[in-house]
Formats: sequence, C-alpha cells, structure tokens
Amino acid sequence: MTQLRISGGIVYDPANGVDGIVRDICIDGGTIVDSVSPAATVVDASGMIVMPGGVDIHSHVAGSSVNLARRLLPEEHLAEPVAAPELVDGLARSGAGGTVPTTFTTGYRYAGLGYTTVFDAAVAPVAARTSHAEFDATPIVDGGFFVLLGNDEYLLRLIDAGEQQQARDYAAWIIGAAGGYAIKVVNPGGVELWKRGARERTDLDTPIGSSRVTPRAILETLVDAGNALGLPHAAHIHCNNLGTAGNVTTTLASMRAVEGRRAHFTHLQFHSYGTANGGGWSSGARELIEYVNTNSHVTGDVGQVMFGPATTLTADGPVEYLLATSSGRKWVNVDIELETGCGIVPYTYKNKAAVAALQWAVGLELFLLSADPWRVVLSTDHPNGGSFLAYPELIRLLMDRAYRDDQLKRVNQKLLAGSALLDGIAREYSLNEIAIITRAAPARILGLTRKGHLGVGADADVTVYASDPDVSRMFATPRYVIKGGTLVVEEGQLRRSPSGRRLHVRPGYDPQVERGLREFFDRYATIAFDNYPVGPLRDAPCATTGGR
Amino acid sequence: MSPAGDQLTQPRAVHHAVCLGCGCACDDIAVHVFNDRITEARNACALGVRWFGDGVIPSAIRVNGADAALSEALATISTSIKQARQTAIYLAPEITCEAQREAIALGDLVRGVVDTISSATVLPTILASQERGRASATLGEIRNRADVVVFWGVDPNERYPRFPSRYAPEPIGLYVDGGRNGRRVIAVDVGTSRGPADADVRFAVDAQHEVTTLIAAAAMVRKPEMSFDEPLASTAALLAKELRAGRYVALVADAEQQVDAQRAEALITLTQTLNGSTRCALNMLRAGGNRSGAEAVLTAHAGYPTGVSFANGVPLYRPHDSTRSADTALVVGDASQVPADVMARFSGGPVAIIGPRASVHRPAQSQAGLSADERAAQAARAAVVTIDTGIAGIHVNGTALRMDDVPLRLRPSLHRGLDPAEVLRALRERVLQ
Repeated sequence: MTQLRISGGIVYDPANGVDGIVRDICIDGGTIVDSVSPAATVVDASGMIVMPGGVDIHSHVAGSSVNLARRLLPEEHLAEPVAAPELVDGLARSGAGGTVPTTFTTGYRYAGLGYTTVFDAAVAPVAARTSHAEFDATPIVDGGFFVLLGNDEYLLRLIDAGEQQQARDYAAWIIGAAGGYAIKVVNPGGVELWKRGARERTDLDTPIGSSRVTPRAILETLVDAGNALGLPHAAHIHCNNLGTAGNVTTTLASMRAVEGRRAHFTHLQFHSYGTANGGGWSSGARELIEYVNTNSHVTGDVGQVMFGPATTLTADGPVEYLLATSSGRKWVNVDIELETGCGIVPYTYKNKAAVAALQWAVGLELFLLSADPWRVVLSTDHPNGGSFLAYPELIRLLMDRAYRDDQLKRVNQKLLAGSALLDGIAREYSLNEIAIITRAAPARILGLTRKGHLGVGADADVTVYASDPDVSRMFATPRYVIKGGTLVVEEGQLRRSPSGRRLHVRPGYDPQVERGLREFFDRYATIAFDNYPVGPLRDAPCATTGGR
Repeated sequence: MSPAGDQLTQPRAVHHAVCLGCGCACDDIAVHVFNDRITEARNACALGVRWFGDGVIPSAIRVNGADAALSEALATISTSIKQARQTAIYLAPEITCEAQREAIALGDLVRGVVDTISSATVLPTILASQERGRASATLGEIRNRADVVVFWGVDPNERYPRFPSRYAPEPIGLYVDGGRNGRRVIAVDVGTSRGPADADVRFAVDAQHEVTTLIAAAAMVRKPEMSFDEPLASTAALLAKELRAGRYVALVADAEQQVDAQRAEALITLTQTLNGSTRCALNMLRAGGNRSGAEAVLTAHAGYPTGVSFANGVPLYRPHDSTRSADTALVVGDASQVPADVMARFSGGPVAIIGPRASVHRPAQSQAGLSADERAAQAARAAVVTIDTGIAGIHVNGTALRMDDVPLRLRPSLHRGLDPAEVLRALRERVLQ
C-alpha cells in the first residue's frame, strides 16, 4: 500500500457537505487521510470530477440463482465473449458478458464503472457457501448479501407460535450462519403460497396456512428483528404482488404496516402500478412517492427499467411463472427447501411495448418526484430492470431534461395517461445529487460508515471522471478508480485487480434458539445442523448495535 | 504441501461427514478411524461404504513411470503445456469446487480447453435445460412437500440407495405427515429400465414410445378432455390424471442413463406444463464425486457448464468437441471414472493426471490393434506424469455440490494425500515462470 494524492479535482462528497469544490484527496494505504508526504504518488485530476466509489445497494451478482441464470444464457455469453484485461499484476481472467456476466467480468465491469461496493440482494442461506465462493471470484469490489427470510419455514412457525423474541434470535443465527449482511424479505408468505399451488394475489392479511401468519406479520417481525438486532441495514423488502397492475395499494399498505420503523423498500418501480379505468395498468408513482416523501422511516431504491435485454431473476417464483406464461420465454423455477424460491425468465423491455414503456416512465417519475435523494437511490435491480452497465444512461436521463423528453417521445404512450412524466417534469439532477443517489446515500442506508464519502478515515474508494458534456459517456468511462487505496483504473484502463472484502455481520443471539432449531433440522432439513453454517470468513464482521 | 501423516492411534470418529459416492451427498455419515484407516462409515449405504473404503490410497509422484519430486513433476507438466498446441484440462470426479476453480484458472491462463465429465455423460440434459429452462426443486423440497413421486425409468435403490430414505418417498415431511403412507409413488417402467418395485401404481412404456408418451401426457395435463386415437393414449391419459391429482409432484429421472435430448426436453415440458394446474419439480439424478460442482464453477467463471475453449483468449462453448484439437491433456480428478473414449482421445500426446490413484497406471505400450477400452487404459498408463492426491471429502477439505447444486462443506476424516487445488496453484506458478 502506498500514499496517493488525487490532486486538483472538483470534489463531490455530499456526506461531508462538499459540493463541487476543488481540493486534494489524500490516501494512505486503504484509508483517506488528512495529508500525505510530498513523495506520495500524484494522480492529476485537474478539472476532473472526483466522487467516492459507487455503492450498489441492490444487484444480483453472486449465488446459485444467478448461476442458474448464467447457465440458462449460453447464447448471450457466445454473443459477448470478454477477453482478460491487461493487468500490470495478478492473473487476469477472461469471461462472458450479457445480462448476467461471469464472476470475474462482473468485478472488472463494476470497477470499470467506478463502483467499488456491491450487494447481492437475494441469497438463500442454504446456498450461502456458493455466494461466498462467487464473491471470492468477483474481484475488486467489496461485496455482501442479504439473506432471504420472508418465506422461511422455521420463521413462519415461530410467528405462528407468537415467539417474536425467538424469531429475532433465529434471524440473528441464520444471518451469522450464512455470513450475510442484512435481512431480505421477498414477497412475504407469497412464495410459500406458490409452493402450495396458489397463484392469486397475496394481500397483507392473507393467511399463510394460519391466520396468525400473514405477510403483515412476517413484515413486522422481520423489520423489528433487523432493528432490534441493530443491523447496519434495515430489513430490505420486496413487497407482495410485484409487477401487477394496482400493486401500489399493496406497497403503500406494506409501508404503513411498519410505519415509524426503519425499513428499506426495494425496486419501488416494480411495485408502483395503479389501475386505469377498466382495470388496466397505470402509473402509481405519484401516490407512492408522496408517501415516501413524507415518511422518513422509509428508504428505497428505484429498480429502473431500461430498454433492451434483461434477465428477470428473483426469489419471487410466482412472478416468474406469470411472466413465463405471458412471454413464452424459457423459464427456470427452483423451489429451495424450507427457505425460498427462485425463478428466472430472460426478457426484453421494448420502448414500443406499452407495459415496458409504463415501467420506464414510473421509474423516472419516482426519481424525479423524490424529495429526498438520501432516501430514494439508484438501482436497476440488475439484471431485472436492465444491466448495471445501463447506470450511465440512466444518469443522463436524470440529468438532462431535453434528452429525457426526446426519449419520452419515442416510447409507447398507451398507458402513460396520468403519468407525471407526460405532464412534463423540469427537474434535472445535479452532479451532487447523482453522487448522493449512487454512493453517499446507498452507503448511509447500508450503514457503511466508511463508504460513500471522502472524509478522513473513510475507505479509500474513489472514482475520478473526466468532465464531459455527455454525462452518459462520462459516467461509463471513469479516468481513475481507486479501490482500497489501489489504483485499479488508470487512464480509463483497468490495470489492477485486488480482491474485495466481504461485508457481513454476526449479530448476537440467545443460544437457546438452537435447541428447537436442531430438532427442526433433524426432522425436516436435508443438511445436518452442524454442516449448515459457512464457518469463519476471512474478513471480520461489521459491527451491529443490538442483539444478545 | 507434503502429505501430513496422521499420528493418531486412538479410535476416533468424524461426524456429519459428506459421502460423495453418488449425487445424494448424504451428510450424516459418522466415519470411524483407527490406525489411520477408516474402519466404518456409519449410516452410509453399500455404495457409500465402498466409496469411503478404508481410506488407504497411494501417494506416489511419477514422471515417465519413475518416482519423482513434486517440483520435477510440475516442471514436466509445465513444459508439456508450454510446448503444446493446445492443452485439454479435464475435470474428472472426486475433486472439490476449490480444485475445479484452480483448474479452470489454469485453462484460461494457457488458452486451453476445459471439459468436464458431464460432456460425455449428461450433455443432452444440459442442452435441453438451456433450451427450455426447467421446473425443479432442491431435494429437501421434495422431502417436505411431494405427495406424488414419479420414478421415471429409474429405481433409485440401485444407483442412489439412500434417495428414498433421505428425500422421497419415505421421510415424514413438513407437509407430508404420513411419510411413505402420505405419498403416492408411481413407477414408470421405460423399456427395461424399471421403477421401484414397491410403487403404488405402475405404468409400462415402450422405450421407443417414451417421448411420445411424455408429450401426450403433457398435452392431456393441459387439456384433460382431449383424446388421442393411439394405443399409447390410454397410458398417457391415466398418467396425466395421476399427475394432475398431485398437490406437489416430484418427477425423478436419471440423467446419467444416457438420456437423449428429446427425452430430456419432453421431461422438462411435462414438468413445466404441470405447473399450470398443480406444482411439479423435475429431479434429474446425478452421480457422485462433485460432478455438479464442476458445472457450476465452470458456469460461474466461464459462462458455460461444460466444454469450454479458451483458445481465442475468451471462453467459447464447445460442448461437443472441445478437446478434439488438444495435443496435451491434464486430467484432474479420478481418471478411472473418465469414459474410455475420452481417455483414448488423449492418447496421442502427453497426459498428466493429478488426482486420486493417478499412479496406478503404468507406462505405455504400442497401441496397434487395441480396442477403445484398451487404448483408454493404455492412455492412462502412458501418462507422462501422475500425481496422486487425496479424495475430496475423504482426505481433502473444501466444498462440493449435491446433485441439486446445494453446496456442502466436506469433512475429511484422514489427513493424508495432496490437495489437488494446492498442486494446481503450484503448477500455475510454474507455468508463469
């Protein structure tokens, strides 16, 4: 590790109130410091834009479900083989691109985009070992994952028995056992109902076998668990009824169900549809974002849809069944024992398709009507709404009204009646706001105190962009990227590929919870209780502030 | 790197060890050890007991048949690879995911081809699932939910002996209170491939009519009222009725029994179709030794589950012929499980084997007049370099995947034998010198 001085750049560090001020950033080893010696290596960033490294709060990059998607897409990989980068040290790896790239290519591409931290949003704890192995093969970026608990059989039993404290202890145990970072809730109870053959909508009070077990009870239990355990990131919630007309009602009800409690609602776009006269689709974005704007307990990421190829990939199995049925595309469903599901359907969002155009517009409405960029942040739910490689294009849509209005003219307008976008939204994001929604705010929402900012003591993850009137090009090709103090991108070329760190937590719990759990494992699990935890990880766990 | 001798002379036991004797990957084995030998693999089936054996394995390193130091062996392999037009790296069974990862990295580095045993054994099933997707479940889901279990041309007792007791139909499941009594077991005998003897209901299907029957059953699942004017229609109709009556149907077939692409696709179609009216999961049974791991790791790193050529500096899918142009081969894993025609293909050039029992092979003789099997045996014997290693799960630590891709931590019971992952890392360093 050496000392670096990033000299003369225009710094955007919103967490520290720095909005486009020329100043040097000093790095010693892996950390940002006050000053460095005159002998420090100088990165001349004169006239360039300097920001903290990007932080992706919600992506699908590492795990068995992602790998099933890779396996399903040989045609995409054949269409985009990727040669190994020319690194100055270390073993460079070739790979394949497409909507679900191979692991090494994923790491290189994120770093090449100026992103230095990435979270996989949906890991079945039983397969956590595979996620760790894939992160081990995803270089440069620091990574972690959220643990799927919203349809977990043991948790549902504890809720049924009214054992809220045990439910917390169980959540603590399983996050630690999986080496995960936060609690993930996907279609609470709805995946379990799908396993039982149900296909109808799931409302918050639909009983899941027992009247005591409802999506509402699951949500409340897991939101409370995340907060009581003092996890750095709140429960990360994918609501019921994703992708269906009128689902904004469910989403709002879910937010109200946990009112006053810290909770993160993910890919809001997929949950913000109203119903038009006659029962069709319409935008529910205005209604949704008004609630978010006035309720500070809620944070969210947008899950923007971008036109082009995507792969829908989710633990929400019933959604993929519906999509497979309506699209006729190839379809994977894997029910995952005692925990969750997995569904995959390749998909293409076409600007001439009415629903895709509505989805695109809803996402932009959410961004543009959001009053607080610290609480509504950028994602495409990669690869569901589009690849993370589309972030620069998305940033241009947010920053450049003329460009956005021009794109709006090209999309199918059939379902856009009532969309705020059609009414004309003048807002253009500033560079400072982009820095908030792509790094500062995701880091804060994730509870990563050393990420997303450039203050003394922060991790030395820094991205330097050459100023360019085409912001899409600017954000697609950073001139320099520094990860943990290592200059990984120089003059726009990926040159080094250090390993990333694993971000995980190990909250405390009452060991008594293991007694009932062992019995449950003995009766129903196919893996021995003692074989379930992934074991010690190389990197120390991140701090939690609660638990026992 | 040197094999550590196990000095313990007291009897001891390793609990919750994973058996990789077949793809069931039972993880409840208590391996008892005395005097550095396995004396018992408690809970294991007969196949598992054979797989564990007594744990005694050779630990030789040979170059051209003569004992050699590891450094000399690696230098020889490195030279072969550097002189080769193309190197085939073949992932045989009995190695960990960690070793598979190292082997793939080497293949990428030297612009070789990386193939797995799956190309020779289960390729039609792989290709069909890439074409159509699949409706499936991990084995625990079958255990806990399946009320109808169809064994399609397979009796699991033969090659997957503990499948019935660990997964289905015997266990009591979370949603199958009665265990075996709570499930309806359907045997479909396909030609001479018979389902289990104790099934509740049997169907017999001519091998030549198998695909048509599957397609007809799928059609009748979709439209129960439709009728066919064919002899097989009644079988398909009865089968469809049974399947539709299930709450959660498990359709179990054996991927290792030379399933052709049409059959694999028809099985996928039937299961996917059944999810329109009920729930259904297809489980394609897989053999042991972490075969699923090779496919998963290769997919994660190179984008395809088997048959990858790095010849152009990028991974390309060559599942039918990836190794044909290679003039040097490195087999990683148990070479004795590699099909004869594959080993025969490698016989034209230097072959190195890094894996369990590699050294049992001897130097080559003339190949004139030999059958494919004999040529294969000879290719193995002709190996320029053999490096004996431990067996994943018996001697070597790491991760392996169950047939349904569920990852398992291995618990080796004996501390001897080289770890192929470490040998491959050292080889890579050598190649880079």
